[in-house]
Amino acid sequence: MDNRSRRETPEAVDTHGYCQAEIEVTHGFGLHARPSVIFTRLAKSFPCTVEIEVNDSNVWLNGKSIVKIMGARIRTGSMLKIRARGLRAAEAIHALKALVESDFDEEKKHGRSG
Amino acid sequence: MAEAVEIAGIAASPGVGLGPVHRAADVTAEVLALRDTVAAERDKLRQAIATAVAELRALADRSDEESAGILDFQIEMLLDPALVEMAEDRIVAGDGAALAWVGALDDYIAGIEEAPDEQLRARAVDVVDIRNRVVSALTGLPLEDFASGSVFVGKDLEPSRFLAHDWTAGGGIVLFEGSVSSHVAMLARGRSVPMVVATGRFEVADGARVLVDANNGRVVIAPDDGHVREAKPKKAEARPIAARRAGGVVETADGVAIRLSAIINDPLELKAINPASFAGIGLMRTEFLVASSADAVNEQRHYDIYRHTLEWAGDAPAIVRMLDLGGDKTLPGLGARKSESFMGLRGTRLLLARPELARAQVRALLRAAVHGNLGVLLPMVTVPDELDAMRTYFEEERAVLLGRGVEARMPEIGMMVEVPAAALMLEQFSHSAFFSFGTNDLAQYLMAAARDDQSVAALYDAATPAVLRVIAQCVGLAKAMKRPIGICGEIASDPRHIPALMAAGLRHFSVAPDRVTDIRSTISGLCTDGQAAAEMK
Repeated sequence: MDNRSRRETPEAVDTHGYCQAEIEVTHGFGLHARPSVIFTRLAKSFPCTVEIEVNDSNVWLNGKSIVKIMGARIRTGSMLKIRARGLRAAEAIHALKALVESDFDEEKKHGRSG
Repeated sequence: MAEAVEIAGIAASPGVGLGPVHRAADVTAEVLALRDTVAAERDKLRQAIATAVAELRALADRSDEESAGILDFQIEMLLDPALVEMAEDRIVAGDGAALAWVGALDDYIAGIEEAPDEQLRARAVDVVDIRNRVVSALTGLPLEDFASGSVFVGKDLEPSRFLAHDWTAGGGIVLFEGSVSSHVAMLARGRSVPMVVATGRFEVADGARVLVDANNGRVVIAPDDGHVREAKPKKAEARPIAARRAGGVVETADGVAIRLSAIINDPLELKAINPASFAGIGLMRTEFLVASSADAVNEQRHYDIYRHTLEWAGDAPAIVRMLDLGGDKTLPGLGARKSESFMGLRGTRLLLARPELARAQVRALLRAAVHGNLGVLLPMVTVPDELDAMRTYFEEERAVLLGRGVEARMPEIGMMVEVPAAALMLEQFSHSAFFSFGTNDLAQYLMAAARDDQSVAALYDAATPAVLRVIAQCVGLAKAMKRPIGICGEIASDPRHIPALMAAGLRHFSVAPDRVTDIRSTISGLCTDGQAAAEMK
């Protein structure tokens, strides 16, 4: 065991464009509305499907839907599984995991729509 | 006359508001339109959503960054097919568009309201906001606004409604439920609108006079003069003139007192510095306090930091420089464009071009000024009109704050002397309470050599003689105007330059805290003309 503060599993990748990662939410989607906007905008920028599961609930939600993400009531300390299937799946998982790890880049301005 | 009734709640945004009640109607799902075909109802809903999105975009475009961020969240929710699909299932099952929409959204809102986390529950009102806006587009009924100056009383208040309302005439907000973490509470704090939440449901007639005493977390229906007097903060007592501190004053070899103040780049530095070693703070930068453009307009965050700074300084003066963005200092979305280079839209120019940015900081400074001896320094002033325009912001915002019962005091407003044109014409800046040299910028403008361009670094280094001549001339002008003048540029923290700066007539130096011991011992070995004491006689 190492002493890393976040529990995470290595990203599992197969040859058919499938990738999955698990990460603890340290910032919390619930803290601000903005993290949900940032997460879904990033997910939507990839052509693959993106799904999330919260705290081993066995329910996989569309990671591109802000409505589903808000409805999932994710709080700080939640364990989040993210899986992607299709084109650029590994890249999508890598980017989304990095976003959660960086506490949603709160210090950066995220472009407004339009 | 009706007897006054007091109701306890939780203060979500400080201040005092007094006005007639606007009693918000509780929204119910009684928007049953006649039902058309499934396809027609579906079209109606989609059109209404498109209308709502367009309205929110227009509102976001004329809002500050923080407010626009909240509205962006709402827009993103409306653009998500998941909400439409939930409503469309109900349309297929036989509901009209409006009823289907309200039914689907109410179920979703109920889910969020059950969240274990208050921060999450506070988002429910954003969804209520979305629900009402689409209903309004569906039914053609306008979203209800209320008379300016009134006190909104209701279950909760939606962010977009807060933003669409004109708060300049005062008033306040009382919520039966609500949350200090809600978006509308953040917005209220940002604009100093007094707000009390969690009062529980109470009856009050529309138009009744009500006092929102958010300094004490209470609401008074039909208040008498005594209640109002009690709620309004007492006038701040005049503070004694700044005591000179032994550690902040050093005597030259010929017995002249020189003041040494601290330069603070980050509020965390205050912890490590002993206030007794300085004659206060000569320059506190503020651009590094704000990590994002949302922080920049977060009045409460600014206020908390300034208040802490003034408490640290005690009776000694603390000079806070207003946001100096542009040039090499940018925030995402602010001051980052090419036209905002060293000689473009930066410093006071940028603040005047972005009034919402300036006014949020002005309100925080006005509120904090009550807690100490505050001076405000304006960066990169070029012409006297800029100083006057900023002073007008201070006067206007002070009137608004006092009207709302928020304690506020005018700080002394001074300017950086860093633009050569201003330095050469210093006598025209008679409205400036004090002056401070920013020699880093003064040097680059005098030499027309950018600070961040290595290829001209030698010219920048060679600027000192020109800078010193300008300083000497300005010290003479400031003396004639009876205005204090000091220096906060980097050369004042370098012992090698101290003799020349003293010879130019400077008697007040703002220095980096880790250099103060060096500077103190250098000065004590010099006479006021900058000559070493040993060479005198």
